[in-house]
Amino acid sequence: MNAQHVSYDCSAFQWAMHAFSNLSKRFFSRGCVRTSLSCAMFMGLFSTAFAANDKTLDGLVVPTFIEQAAASGIDHQYTGSWEFFVGGGGAAFDCNGDRMPDVFLAGGSSRSKLYKNISLAGEPLRFEQVPLNLSEKDSLSVTGAYALHIDGDAHIDLVVLRVGRNLLLRGDGNCGFTKANRQLSFDGGREWTTGFSAIWESGAPFPTLAFGNYIDQTAPGSPWGTCHDNLLVRPNLAANTSSNGPAYNDTTQLTPGYCSLSMLFTDWNNSGEPSLRITNDRQYYRGGEEQLWRVPTQTAPKLYTKRDGWKRLTIWGMGIAEADLNSDGYPEYALSSMGDNMLQQLDTEAEEDQPQYRDVAFDQGTTAHRPYQGDDSKPSTGWHTEFADFNNDARTDLFIAKGNVSAMPDFADIDPDNLLLQHPGGGFVEAGMESRINLPTQGRGALISDFNADGQLDLIVINREASVSVFQNIGVAESWGSKPLGNWLAIELQQTETNPQAIGARVVIKTGNLSQSRTVSVGGGHAAGSNGFLHIGLGVAERATVRVRWPDGDWSHEYRVFANHHAVLKRDADKAIYWYPVERVTN
Amino acid sequence: MSTLRNYAAVIVLLTGVATLSTSVANDTLPWAEITPQLGATGQLPSGRLSQRSLDALNETGKALFQAQFTPNDGAGRPNATQAIIPTKSKRPREHAFFRTAGPDASACSSCHNQPVLGGASDFVTNVFVSEGFNQADFDSIDPQFSNERGSNHLMGAGLVELLAREMSRDLATIRASALQAARKTGSDVTQPLISKGVSYGHITASPDGLVDLSGVDGVDDDLTVRPFSQKGVMTSLRQFTVNAMNHHHGMQADERFGLKVTGTDDFDEDGYKNELNAGDVSALVAWQAMLEPPVKNTPSDAAWVEAASRGNQGMQSYGCLECHRSALPLESLDFLDPGPLDVVGTLSSNSVESPAIYDLSLTYWADSLPRNEQGYVLVPLFGDLKRHQMTDRKNDALGNEQLSQRFVDRTRFMTAELWGVGSTAPYGHRNDYVALHDIILAHGGAAKASRDAYAAADEPAQLDVIAFLKTLVIQQ
Repeated sequence: MNAQHVSYDCSAFQWAMHAFSNLSKRFFSRGCVRTSLSCAMFMGLFSTAFAANDKTLDGLVVPTFIEQAAASGIDHQYTGSWEFFVGGGGAAFDCNGDRMPDVFLAGGSSRSKLYKNISLAGEPLRFEQVPLNLSEKDSLSVTGAYALHIDGDAHIDLVVLRVGRNLLLRGDGNCGFTKANRQLSFDGGREWTTGFSAIWESGAPFPTLAFGNYIDQTAPGSPWGTCHDNLLVRPNLAANTSSNGPAYNDTTQLTPGYCSLSMLFTDWNNSGEPSLRITNDRQYYRGGEEQLWRVPTQTAPKLYTKRDGWKRLTIWGMGIAEADLNSDGYPEYALSSMGDNMLQQLDTEAEEDQPQYRDVAFDQGTTAHRPYQGDDSKPSTGWHTEFADFNNDARTDLFIAKGNVSAMPDFADIDPDNLLLQHPGGGFVEAGMESRINLPTQGRGALISDFNADGQLDLIVINREASVSVFQNIGVAESWGSKPLGNWLAIELQQTETNPQAIGARVVIKTGNLSQSRTVSVGGGHAAGSNGFLHIGLGVAERATVRVRWPDGDWSHEYRVFANHHAVLKRDADKAIYWYPVERVTN
Repeated sequence: MSTLRNYAAVIVLLTGVATLSTSVANDTLPWAEITPQLGATGQLPSGRLSQRSLDALNETGKALFQAQFTPNDGAGRPNATQAIIPTKSKRPREHAFFRTAGPDASACSSCHNQPVLGGASDFVTNVFVSEGFNQADFDSIDPQFSNERGSNHLMGAGLVELLAREMSRDLATIRASALQAARKTGSDVTQPLISKGVSYGHITASPDGLVDLSGVDGVDDDLTVRPFSQKGVMTSLRQFTVNAMNHHHGMQADERFGLKVTGTDDFDEDGYKNELNAGDVSALVAWQAMLEPPVKNTPSDAAWVEAASRGNQGMQSYGCLECHRSALPLESLDFLDPGPLDVVGTLSSNSVESPAIYDLSLTYWADSLPRNEQGYVLVPLFGDLKRHQMTDRKNDALGNEQLSQRFVDRTRFMTAELWGVGSTAPYGHRNDYVALHDIILAHGGAAKASRDAYAAADEPAQLDVIAFLKTLVIQQ
């Protein structure tokens, strides 16, 4: 056990202890450094006393979620034994061109399912299952999925992560999918895949795919210290790229692999060149750590090391999310783990271009280290993590899916998901209970999207051995019904040449003196991701101006858009086009 | 160190004195420096108000409109700007009043008073309109910092808002219909945007739900007709009230600046919480909505009557009435408050259990309004609730602003409603035209042909137009 890196794990706690008592600090520095687990449990026991954030929900608009899986037509569970303790994701994306997010759900030992969204604008969520043209074998052992345009046609495609061969499914634009591994010269591997991300490298006509792999069960000594390498798969531009699409046979092993559970292409240093952030599960690796790969265009990836300023960090990494919370152009990262969820901010005192981060989770109130309800003070287990503005107050919030791995006695058994609302005065405040997402389920992946196009983000949580939770955001609950949250904006980017959804673009939304930014990305979370309109809360602003840094680095002119609209921004177009969802026809 | 402590003690003492000096607010004393009508409305009115309830609300609103708000009411915004989005100022304000960036008045009636309460203003009370984000503390009348504007009268404002609501509804219905047809036929559908005879261009809806807005003219892309201000950028009397109360008085409404929006109930940090509750705003809205509309006066001088009649015809023939439409039909006199078109930051109908209905037919003036054969009230506003380009290469006098406002180009303005024009000199958005003749000749852009026709007319014909305009007055 490396004391140095474990003490880093506890840095936030140590800071708190220092602030409150020397006695506690002594205990912490001697006792708590022994294990991160005891550290997490310590914090769990004393979290109330050491809360860095004294904000309450008084100054916040709390959204209300109504669980309606059954009513919505979704009947699905993520099931299975040890191999499916992790994973449990899916994808929210528009598979039939109506701009309403449809849903693919991983099933583990159960079959995966695809649901078409038939909700009407502003009405209760409704889905209907559509058949997946997959063999039984291919539809089983699925851990997660992400949607993106792969083959260059007009229809969105799907990457399916599995324990075993991963799948590339070509979409036909009408929610039909065809396995295209052979057509795209994609082997798919034999690994236990739990993470994925994709990016269009500069000038590339097709995306580069990264696969995060977990434990190599066939290696001697498995599962301990037997992590698979991760893989970077580039479109082989030398190969025939006919109508069959690109050839994905240019595979680079990202060695060493440390049992990844999530990965995300990210422009951490605002350079325009993506890097690959990987979060790893310390439960199984030996000598491992969190990772950041430099991925220079069309050249070999290179791991950031201590020499580059990378600070060793070991956690039970489960999920990654990014958001530029302080609008400085450099993203913050939420890392979910067991007990010690982290919120990393680029250290302003670090040398330029060095990826040194400090954990501000304690300061910001996002440690979410134990259940916020009940008497169980054991550490909780975080999985999918994602930033989004759930109450449309122009401040980005943080969702963390929670749930015991299976029956781990040292961790909380009843462990509801977190909804951490960002407070106007800074920091985050837990609102899981008040927003009614506090179910005693074992959450894994999650899909955050506006499923009924009412401007209020809804939430689907894929649970282990239980029905998915389909939470409709109804706004602010009142005795007489509900009222809207804040104003909002939904933005779709379009490019005509390659990379039609402008993956890698940064969108800056300005209201008054406030600038918010969103990055169009594929990856992160926990085996799950949503694709489609970017959602931005506008608070009380009635209009906003929007600028786009397209993936090639070009900045757009200023688009002027009105609040509470879906705006489609076509590259080089003079003005935004508005999109309107299908509404119920009233006579 | 001890010196530092002494300084600190002095500061604390002075602060205490300062606090005392502004907290002499025993509201039980008849001479207390407070506005007793604040909070008097209590809960937000709801449902259809009876004549009696409406009268009481109206009375409260009138009192609030005339009230000279004091620091004990919460007037002043030492640490907030005039911006419509809650925005902190960079430094505390040194003075309670600030002629340019505001607060610049103690009462609504300080400006809206000519020739009656709720009326317009002279040049001396012009306001300086800036977004209040960058350089919010501008201390200059240089047009690079703000747009200088005269205060419009509010007479008949309730009718104007009702017209705008119905027009917005019509435009939204056209959009929905175009989308439905496009989705049904699988082809693009182009439809003209016409409401109450006013054309706002056209839209093209596609089967995939996209709407091409490049043909929209004179209204915002969201197809909401915003009838208030010289630019037509305010949706409702309620939004105007919330904006203006902060800008001009530093009275911050809870629905925009309160705890649930800003995280604090004293956003401007003047030591007063909850300065203006939703009921207060409703009272102000009700009073403004029920203001008597201007009338067409029949002069006692027969020659004036004849000249006015010729002038009306002249305006028709010059094309003036294509924009200054003599009347627009209004289907209903039910004024919902909060209204249906506001968005979060201003209370709207869908934010409350049951919005109040102010039945304008209960007003003393309602019966005097003409109706058409369908029973619709003909609102004689001499306007079209549409924005137009007001300058061209030759006539750019009205292009004297340097700042666009809320997406509206600097040379585009809402058609000025001419009702009451005979009572509200001076004219123009900057209030800097003393004579009607001069402001007519200042027209350009979309009004160029009409302006040229007027200019080409002989002097008696021009005088006839003036004679007519002088009959459009506010009752005193």
